[in-house]
Amino acid sequence: MIRALKLEWLKIRNYRTFWILLSMYCLALIIICFGGMFFLEYLKSLGADFEGLDPTILPIYDFPDIWQNITYLASFLKILLAFIVIISINNDQSYNTLRQNIIDGISKKEYLVGKILLISSLALVSTLFLFTSGLINGALYSHVWGASFIFDELEFLFAYWYDIVIFCTLAMLLSLIIKKAGFVIIALTLYTFMFEPIAGVIMTEAPFMKNGIWPQVAPFLPIHALNDMIPVPFLKYLFQEIVDNIPIKALIISTGWFVIYLAGITFILNRRDLKA
Amino acid sequence: MTDILEINGLTKNYGKLKAVSNLNLNVKQGQVYGILGPNGSGKTTTLGMILDVVAPTSGVYNWFGGISPIDARKQIGAILETPCFYPYLTAVQNLRITAHIKESSPNRIDEVLEQVGLSERKNDKFKTYSLGMKQRLSIAAALIANPPVLILDEPTNGLDPQGIAEIRTLIRDIAADGKTILLASHLLDEVQKVCSHFCVLRKGVKLHEGAVNDILGETNEIEISATNLQELTDCMNALDAFDSVTRENGQLVLTTREGITSEQINKHCFEKGITLKKLVTRTKSLEQEFLKILQEK
Repeated sequence: MIRALKLEWLKIRNYRTFWILLSMYCLALIIICFGGMFFLEYLKSLGADFEGLDPTILPIYDFPDIWQNITYLASFLKILLAFIVIISINNDQSYNTLRQNIIDGISKKEYLVGKILLISSLALVSTLFLFTSGLINGALYSHVWGASFIFDELEFLFAYWYDIVIFCTLAMLLSLIIKKAGFVIIALTLYTFMFEPIAGVIMTEAPFMKNGIWPQVAPFLPIHALNDMIPVPFLKYLFQEIVDNIPIKALIISTGWFVIYLAGITFILNRRDLKA
Repeated sequence: MTDILEINGLTKNYGKLKAVSNLNLNVKQGQVYGILGPNGSGKTTTLGMILDVVAPTSGVYNWFGGISPIDARKQIGAILETPCFYPYLTAVQNLRITAHIKESSPNRIDEVLEQVGLSERKNDKFKTYSLGMKQRLSIAAALIANPPVLILDEPTNGLDPQGIAEIRTLIRDIAADGKTILLASHLLDEVQKVCSHFCVLRKGVKLHEGAVNDILGETNEIEISATNLQELTDCMNALDAFDSVTRENGQLVLTTREGITSEQINKHCFEKGITLKKLVTRTKSLEQEFLKILQEK
């Protein structure tokens, strides 16, 4: 396991593109985490109010709600980590180094394990980064303080990590199938932010579908299930009741997709001839 | 001698195309084994199968008497066709990856780079290398774990004449250490110069297999010349010891009958007062034999 991860580390350690992409990702994370208050200030300057309330007193950075809030927002950025994974897989294919790695003496399974560990590590770095940002923002703005609040609802950080791992595994599968990094990036972005959300809305809202089985099918869509793991948090500031834990159903469906992706990757790696 | 590699009935079909057909091979320890064949004869596909990057349609192979293929590959230094490295990494960084996979010490990196003459450029990125330098780096990568077996697929591809000579010397030096080498090439001259054994493939079928020395050796043709070529010709015709005497490029080519040696010819000429300035017994070349094998089948 460590060996497989170290192999991936040797590949990216001196790869400038990787570090640039990772830095941009971290910058985006910072903006998302720390930008909330600036956004509320901006709303206030526009004269917005929530039923007579000043937007800046919205407790978005209060423990433990902060965890759901920032993980929800930051999970949109996972596409950037997926780009890193796509480029990494694509390099191994276009430079033929996947073949050379295998000739030199790793198994295809070890290759898969290495990539999954790389993905998990990237997700872990992101999660720790987000955790730290959350602590800082909470310290600055939270109206409550204390271990029982701070460490409550940390399961959202787990969901955030798991969300990234599964999404990046999908990116890996697509990179193996499509092979051209540019195509994969466009296809994954469009599917994640456009095709599937629209399909989901059509399934649940279209008059000819919403009375059938389709609204029950929508939560099984791969991105839909991932997004469901961290429910939209902000409605709580408008309505009182909101889901503030990880829905088990979404967790199970996502895990199912994870298994399917891994099986697909294994199938392709074992079946494909690695010719020059 | 122990079997290093045993191939039984290896077959690979790409759709209707039979790339390799029911191939049987045995490579013993210490052999420098050449796989000869025109382009597209299945050489690289065969190597790809025994290195686990191409799935055989049928057939089996065994490394080192049947150890796990992954462990076997760690003891094999192999290059397949074009050199494959990360272009954004330097030679040293690339070799560190190879050493890591092969679970061998990175201490040998400087040594192998020296061996292939890349020391000066070792901290330059792979993408800045010329084709010849890339080829050298892949040979360095094959040597990194000091493996008992080397697989080289067209190792002199893209090298200049000096580079070709250097790589051939390198291969012979490595073979002299008792290592087993499997060399695929369409360059007959290359196989003749470095290999001890060889086989010939055409369209995925093995046409011939044997030791290089068995197929080479002397022919019954002798080249001679003297200052007065006409006098020499008459003298040879008078001797009545040849099937044919022909003039070629300012020399005579004699096809000797059974039992006639170059020594006898020299003696005869000397007695007749003709001083030979050239006397050479022609040897067979792999090229002629190869073409003969291809025609026969």
